[in-house]
Amino acid sequence: MKTISEARGTLVTTLADDWGSDIATLKGVPWGKVMMWVFLVSDTFIFTCFLVGYMSVRMSTIEPWPNPSEVFALHAFGVSVPLLLIAIMTFILISSSGTMAMAVNMGYQRRKKAATNLILVTALLGAMFVGMQAFEWSKLILDEGVRPWTNPFGAPQFGAVFFMVTGFHGLHVSAGVIYLLTIAFRIRRGKYDESDFEIVEISGLYWHFVDLVWVFIFALFYLW
Amino acid sequence: MWVAAALLIVVVGSVAFNFLTPWWFGEAASNWGSIDDIVLLTFWVCGVVFILVGLSLVFSIYKYRFRQGARAHYEPENTRLELWLTVGTSLGVVAMLGPGLFVWDEFVRVPAEASEMEVFGEQWRWRYRLPGTDGKLGTTDIRNISMRNPFGLNDDDPNGLDDVLIQSSEIHLPVNVPVKALLRSKDVLHDFFVPEFRAKMDLVPGMVTYFWFTPTKLGEFEILCAEYCGSSHYLMRGVVAVDRPEEYQVWLHSQPTYAELLAAARPSNRDIAEGRTVAETNGCLACHSLDGSQVVGPTWQGLWGRSERLVDGSVITVDEAYVRESIVSPSAKIIDGFAPVMLSYDLPESDIQTLLAFLRSTSTFAPVDAAEGLADAGEVLVQSRGCLACHSLDGTKGVGPTWRGLWGRKEYLTDGSVVSVDAAYFRESIEHPNAKVVEGFAPVMLPYQFTDEEFEAMVAYAVERLTVP
Amino acid sequence: MTEIEVPYQETIGVRHPRSWITRYWFSQDHKVIAVQYGVTAIAVGLVALVLSGLMRIQIGFPGLLPFITPDVYYQAVTMHGMIMVIFLLTAFLLGAFGNFCVPLMLGARDMVFPFVNMLSYHVYLLSVVVLMASYFVPGGPTGAGWTLYPPQAILPGTPGVDWGIVTMLLSLIIFVVAFTMGGLNYITTILQARTRGMTLMRMPLTVWGIMMATVLGLLAFPALFVSGVMMLLDKLVGTSFFMPAIVSFGQPLEHSGGSPLLFQHLFWFFGHPEVYIVALPAFGVVSELISVHSRKNIFGYRMMVWALVAIGALSFVVWAHHMYVAGMHPYFGFFFATTTLIIAVPTAIKVYNWVLTLWKANIKLTVPMLFALAFILTFVVGGLSGLFLGNVIIDVPLSDTYFVVAHFHMVMGVAPILVIFGGIYHWYPKLTGRMLNNTLGQLHFWVTFLGTYAIYYPMHYLGFIGVPRRYYANGMESDFYPESAATLNEFITIAALVVGLMQFVFVYNLIASYFRGKAAGSNPWEATTLEWQTPNTPPSHGNWGDTLPTVHRWAYDYSVPDEDQDFIPQNVEHT
Repeated sequence: MKTISEARGTLVTTLADDWGSDIATLKGVPWGKVMMWVFLVSDTFIFTCFLVGYMSVRMSTIEPWPNPSEVFALHAFGVSVPLLLIAIMTFILISSSGTMAMAVNMGYQRRKKAATNLILVTALLGAMFVGMQAFEWSKLILDEGVRPWTNPFGAPQFGAVFFMVTGFHGLHVSAGVIYLLTIAFRIRRGKYDESDFEIVEISGLYWHFVDLVWVFIFALFYLW
Repeated sequence: MWVAAALLIVVVGSVAFNFLTPWWFGEAASNWGSIDDIVLLTFWVCGVVFILVGLSLVFSIYKYRFRQGARAHYEPENTRLELWLTVGTSLGVVAMLGPGLFVWDEFVRVPAEASEMEVFGEQWRWRYRLPGTDGKLGTTDIRNISMRNPFGLNDDDPNGLDDVLIQSSEIHLPVNVPVKALLRSKDVLHDFFVPEFRAKMDLVPGMVTYFWFTPTKLGEFEILCAEYCGSSHYLMRGVVAVDRPEEYQVWLHSQPTYAELLAAARPSNRDIAEGRTVAETNGCLACHSLDGSQVVGPTWQGLWGRSERLVDGSVITVDEAYVRESIVSPSAKIIDGFAPVMLSYDLPESDIQTLLAFLRSTSTFAPVDAAEGLADAGEVLVQSRGCLACHSLDGTKGVGPTWRGLWGRKEYLTDGSVVSVDAAYFRESIEHPNAKVVEGFAPVMLPYQFTDEEFEAMVAYAVERLTVP
Repeated sequence: MTEIEVPYQETIGVRHPRSWITRYWFSQDHKVIAVQYGVTAIAVGLVALVLSGLMRIQIGFPGLLPFITPDVYYQAVTMHGMIMVIFLLTAFLLGAFGNFCVPLMLGARDMVFPFVNMLSYHVYLLSVVVLMASYFVPGGPTGAGWTLYPPQAILPGTPGVDWGIVTMLLSLIIFVVAFTMGGLNYITTILQARTRGMTLMRMPLTVWGIMMATVLGLLAFPALFVSGVMMLLDKLVGTSFFMPAIVSFGQPLEHSGGSPLLFQHLFWFFGHPEVYIVALPAFGVVSELISVHSRKNIFGYRMMVWALVAIGALSFVVWAHHMYVAGMHPYFGFFFATTTLIIAVPTAIKVYNWVLTLWKANIKLTVPMLFALAFILTFVVGGLSGLFLGNVIIDVPLSDTYFVVAHFHMVMGVAPILVIFGGIYHWYPKLTGRMLNNTLGQLHFWVTFLGTYAIYYPMHYLGFIGVPRRYYANGMESDFYPESAATLNEFITIAALVVGLMQFVFVYNLIASYFRGKAAGSNPWEATTLEWQTPNTPPSHGNWGDTLPTVHRWAYDYSVPDEDQDFIPQNVEHT
């Protein structure tokens, strides 16, 4: 009688051996990291469903879809610059991913102070992002009269999708900011001194995910 | 042993039940009897699997029951056997799927010669529309729906005027003629299902769905709504009557067209009010007064039916044709004493209709007869608030009691008492519908709120138009 | 495998709870959490059972209970369905069996994140409370059917449109959060926290079933979440995701441009994997039951694993078979009918393997075994009727009739419930140290099995004559609906009431045996899997005492030739 662990020889069996081996499938990966990855896969599906819903709604509207470049234009120095605010927001978020990556590096080098500071900078950039998004919301709601059920620019679903998608994304960023602040203070208090500081990488994964989702939202909603 | 016996009885009983059951497909009344053949094929394939699995369970339980000290046969796997079983199962699957997809292919291909019929569903009744002599159904928009235009036809589309509108839930079809049913919903999901025809399809608001079938048997067949649509889903019934061609033609010619409905429509107070709004928003009242004073154009007081002398000396009577012409080509016939300064207006047909209603109402000094107006207002209310979706006017039984001959009628209630339909009962039934339910009907009506004036109007309507003639 | 890796679990200490609150209410012990899930699921399931009794009384004996108006009826239909699918079946198979079996079967001390595990139960409890709150809000629970289709779910004419639909959607959203938390734990534990020697291919099929179901859930529940959020927005804020232009009871509404079909796609993209989230753990557990109680290894273990994986993967490409007559493009019918019938193949392999396991076995007809056997038969019936519905053209006359109701009850309501019962009879001794009463168990089994078979097998035929589902009454003169069908409905109702009453006997057995059941010992069924090899029964916190077990063989060494006993536990070395 042959079981898999007794079979030898072919590449496929060796792969199955490796992945099916005892104790852990993903060798050397801490539990928290696996959990974060699995959670992010699930959250990816959530945003995918939101964006698929958005694309479906946009394809079937009977009224024309507003032009995002016009809706989200800022007047700077007397000139209307399309998507200026969004561009700044994107730049800030991507930069925050950069500082986060640096924090992860510092963490693995066990340089606690540097790691903490970089995490705080990341959180600050994230908070700025949320602030700007809030400003965008208030501008659209108060000045332009955009509502979830109607707007002066075209298809009523435009406002609905905008508030729903950016709302959920903004919630994720805000939760991320709180998460990062918690991690930063815990590092400073020495809670992770016994570990390899993989917690920084784990929280970094979440932060990069939030950034990546924004890239998709930016591309599919603001640019299309 | 007893367990094996019990299982054997279950298996054998299931098979026997299948052959002895009275509950089986009735004979199909459409071309989709071919579906029954696929069902039979599936039954045979699945039946064989069921019997084999069942019997092997029975056998194993009996033969291999536990014996102390015995050992089971040790065979962790048998790849060859599993392979054969996989192949066999796949063949069985193909045997069912193949023929099934062939028939589905027929189902999705509508024959070119199929006639069209629109099924217009709403909570909780069926109505229908046929293309009329031009063979084309007019385009529609939900937002056009009004008392005058219950199907929401686009007035700009000439194809719609000859459409035959069937306002009851009974539709007739000629036998052996393929028909494409176009399904439209006014509110929520429904499904048009006649079990004998086998075919069905959902009605989806915002879309026009379709399916096709050819009725092959004469008779009357019940329509059942087959997609949950609210508390009275189970009461949303209708009838498809399949006629011989001659009988069908007789029925068809007795049904009104949209054009006839428009012509018969009495201008309601709402139409008059809307027409007045049209006149205001388009600026007519800037030049035409309503009180007899002389302004830029002729006063509209007492306008309708009035004789007017034109600048060229001829005399005309103010009627619909003259008004229409004056709107579109105002300089064509100028009334003596007025300058040719009126602009041409391009009004949509629905606006012209209501404007005409308003103008007709100017034919006397007095406003429309008070009582008549009140009953009209009541009629507008019962139409617009959806009462007629459940209460028919022609005597057919719907979700609620018919309103034909309603006023003063004796009704028997579910608690055994008798009530006479009067203003008090009428009002109570609207505000607290489930307090006194008529025998034979379900307590599904929603409560409605109306003002006292609105109640007065509805009662006036009921007294005038719902009393036994 | 030459390196010996010290499992991380061995290096972490186990902090034992001290007070009653941390031991039983906010417990982080997976076994306690499993019981919490189980008790809550059974409690809410009994509510749904009573609702089904009310429904059946109305169908079988219309007008007998005057308080069952159409609104009450449709509310019962909806709550019964949603509770059973989500709050009983999913919660019990994953929350109770998953939590209890997985760490024990893998030789782990607990789930990898016991705190998150504890949270997941309390969030689940919150979702149940929010759902039950439907009964106390103005208008009562929603009556839109468990499928909650818009536009009717949020428009007048359907019960519960004011508050009931809101509490329902909120409860589902909260449940998704709970499920996600639990699911993360299961996957990480199964992937990363097995004991020495426990390779993936030595895991019992129960764990494989639960793992696949968890993966499915993590990928499918997002679609339900999103559709719930969008419908809430349509209802509360007036957006038009699913709402086209509508004239409702004579009033034109403000909505326009939305698509009811979008909801159906999102819902069924979740809904179809959901039925496999229920079925796959059941498949896993029943493999365990058959193997242990027939003293024979499960036939074709490798194929069983691959079949689970294949079914799980395929379950994501069949969803629109719930929408064949929904008005979507007809060409989709070809695609989805094909994928649906393809998924029948790995499922059939599993059935053959269960049957082949019994062949030349040494079968003990214990109560768990009886339930397992009944599962095979009823699952075959339900699965085969699914083939009718999956073949698109046959679905056309049968959709929305009692054929569908019979199919999904057989394959979701009868078969997995029988497995749940079997699993409870099987693992109750490990959980409590006592056996459930055998006489009551036999009574429970025979009445439940024969009763549910009598209910749902004939029901298929009502579908053939065209009786639609979700009908409060068949009333009004109907030519197509023969008088005898009304008699059948009466018979089914009586059977349903009898089966329903019997479940209370089962609950009594659960409670009474805890105090008076026969002492069970550590391994009363003489099973090989690790959970039966714990040093204590019931297992203490941390499960294994000082040292984790080491696994040397697969999970099904029964009746190995030339051995003294007819079973060899997984942690016994080869000689």
